[in-house]
Amino acid sequence: MPALKVYAWFLLKRLGLTVLTLWGLATLVFLMIKLMPGDEAQMAAGADASAAQVEAMRIRLGLDAPLVAQYLRFLLRVAQGDFGTSIVTLQPVMSDLGKVLPSTLELVVVAMLINLSVAIPAGIVAAYRQGGAFDSLCRAAAVTLGGMPAFWLALVLQFLLGRVWRVVPISGQVSFGMGSPVVTGAPSLDALLAFNGAGFLNALWHLALPAAVLAALFSTQVFRTLRASLLGVLRSDFVMAVRAKGASARRMLTDHALPNSLNPVLTLAGTQAGAMIGSAVLVETVFARKGIGAYMFNAVAQKDTFAVLGSVMFIGTVVCLVNLAVDVMQLVLDPRIRSAQFGSQH
Amino acid sequence: MHMDRTFQGSPTPGPNATTLARAVGLTVDMPVQLGASSVRIVDGVDFAIGVGERVALVGESGSGKSVTARALMRLDRAARVSGRVEFAGRDLLALSEREMTQVRGGDIAMVFQDPMSFLDPLMTIGDQVAETLRIRGVGKADARRRALAVLDELRVDRAAERLDAYPHEFSGGMRQRVVLAMALVGEPRLLIADEPTTALDVRVQDQVLDLLDDVSARRGLAVLFITHDLGVVAGFAERVMVMYSGRIVEDGSVDSVFARPRHPYTRGLIKAVPRIDQDLDRLYAIPGAPPPPFARPTGCAFHPRCDAAFAPCLRDVPAVLPVEGGRAACHLHASQGA
Repeated sequence: MPALKVYAWFLLKRLGLTVLTLWGLATLVFLMIKLMPGDEAQMAAGADASAAQVEAMRIRLGLDAPLVAQYLRFLLRVAQGDFGTSIVTLQPVMSDLGKVLPSTLELVVVAMLINLSVAIPAGIVAAYRQGGAFDSLCRAAAVTLGGMPAFWLALVLQFLLGRVWRVVPISGQVSFGMGSPVVTGAPSLDALLAFNGAGFLNALWHLALPAAVLAALFSTQVFRTLRASLLGVLRSDFVMAVRAKGASARRMLTDHALPNSLNPVLTLAGTQAGAMIGSAVLVETVFARKGIGAYMFNAVAQKDTFAVLGSVMFIGTVVCLVNLAVDVMQLVLDPRIRSAQFGSQH
Repeated sequence: MHMDRTFQGSPTPGPNATTLARAVGLTVDMPVQLGASSVRIVDGVDFAIGVGERVALVGESGSGKSVTARALMRLDRAARVSGRVEFAGRDLLALSEREMTQVRGGDIAMVFQDPMSFLDPLMTIGDQVAETLRIRGVGKADARRRALAVLDELRVDRAAERLDAYPHEFSGGMRQRVVLAMALVGEPRLLIADEPTTALDVRVQDQVLDLLDDVSARRGLAVLFITHDLGVVAGFAERVMVMYSGRIVEDGSVDSVFARPRHPYTRGLIKAVPRIDQDLDRLYAIPGAPPPPFARPTGCAFHPRCDAAFAPCLRDVPAVLPVEGGRAACHLHASQGA
């Protein structure tokens, strides 16, 4: 194992790159604000503001300064986590996000868990028994699910599971009277913090359908990627060598074939984490859940520019951090990447 | 059509050896595409390997050598193996997959052609060598100690320090030693070596061959050595079997086959070996190319390339008949009277 020091150095380098990426994103967001039709001062002052009020707002927001000065000031504010003020809630966008984000993270984390825990075992079995009944079934399911729009799937499942069979609630995040005091904003976590077992289960029960709907599309991608990757690995020579040692099929798969086929899955899951937050917009709207999706949806509907851009900036940050985590995981997984990064240790 | 070929008695190992492994009518069909038709890669071969005997299996690429060897261990999941494979009196084709995992790596082990692609790139070499033992329930520390002992025996440089190194950190020759250690650590009685030196450069080839020679002698290990290099055969094996298009065409002691090859194909192979004491403008090559297994010629599969072919060769698959010092499958030979 390379020493911790080299990992720390790697992390530092990647964090530097992450900062550069976020700088680029912030610049894009700034340009979007500038290029979008409409007067920022007018938007901030409100549609009913008088000309004098708009001018006063323009000076207050520093919009009368040269563009470069505005850009630098914008970067400084973003670096401090100040994304501006929402014209709908009249609150700083950052504090709005702080309220809605835990609920989204709860949804995305559970959806990611469902995604991976369904797609990975299915991918393994399908690849190992390529062309078998299970493989055919899974591939058919992947095509069907992958081709379904998430909101439509959500509506159908709401109707079947929520209305006809009544096994899960149609919407909301926790039943009336089952809620716990808000600490984090994620109902399941709040229930745990309040030692409210029934509330926790109730929150998960409400999460099941939206998380499954969100996971569906993504799990078809993970399934297909893992299956293809694993099929390639299973054809490779060292798998035969492992069999020649007397390894059982199970050992061959879990100790050798799977680790060797995980790399593309990790990369995919990393990009999916970001895309899931984006897809949460639809799911949260359909299931009437609080979250960054619903927040962005409302922001777009009400032309709340700073709220939209703040959310974009925030999601961008999450994607960057997840990618950083994926890079580190790949480093841990593959000694060849470690050697390429740090030089051979032996 | 191997049914109508007569085999004179059951296959036997070379003289002075008790039978360790035996294949009778070994046939391997490979599916062409999933669920669709299959192709007969190995067409009813019979042979035996004695305890501690070194047998070479030679032939051109695509002759079915590797497929035959893998069928002995039932390594290839896609292959459909029929006939009979015996090891120490047990019928391996009748064993369950679970019982077979005990045979693999325990009774029969295998080393492969390209040591890089046959090692798991993500696992340390110490773990990969020890795995053969871990599968058999040996404790972690014990397995590691024995893995190190075998790596030392195979003269892997600084083995103790490099147990936790990964395959990409080793040179080709060292990797082949690791692959060999992986095979030997389970103390097999038969080692199948599938072109273990082909991917290595000449100097390293000699080292690995010496090593194999050394260890197999010390351990009384039977070796089935697959190669297309007749030079290697002469130096290493006691007996040689020649394979062509999925069938064994000649089998005999190295001395008698090299001195008096019976089958025109064997003659061609020997003639094709460049010799340092002959000054030739051109190297000899057998005309034509081996047939693909899905278009195997009728009769003797070699007849389109054979300068001695006559009527029966086109019609009948020649029987494998005993000859002095071994056996051969050639009409020419049969008609001259065995």
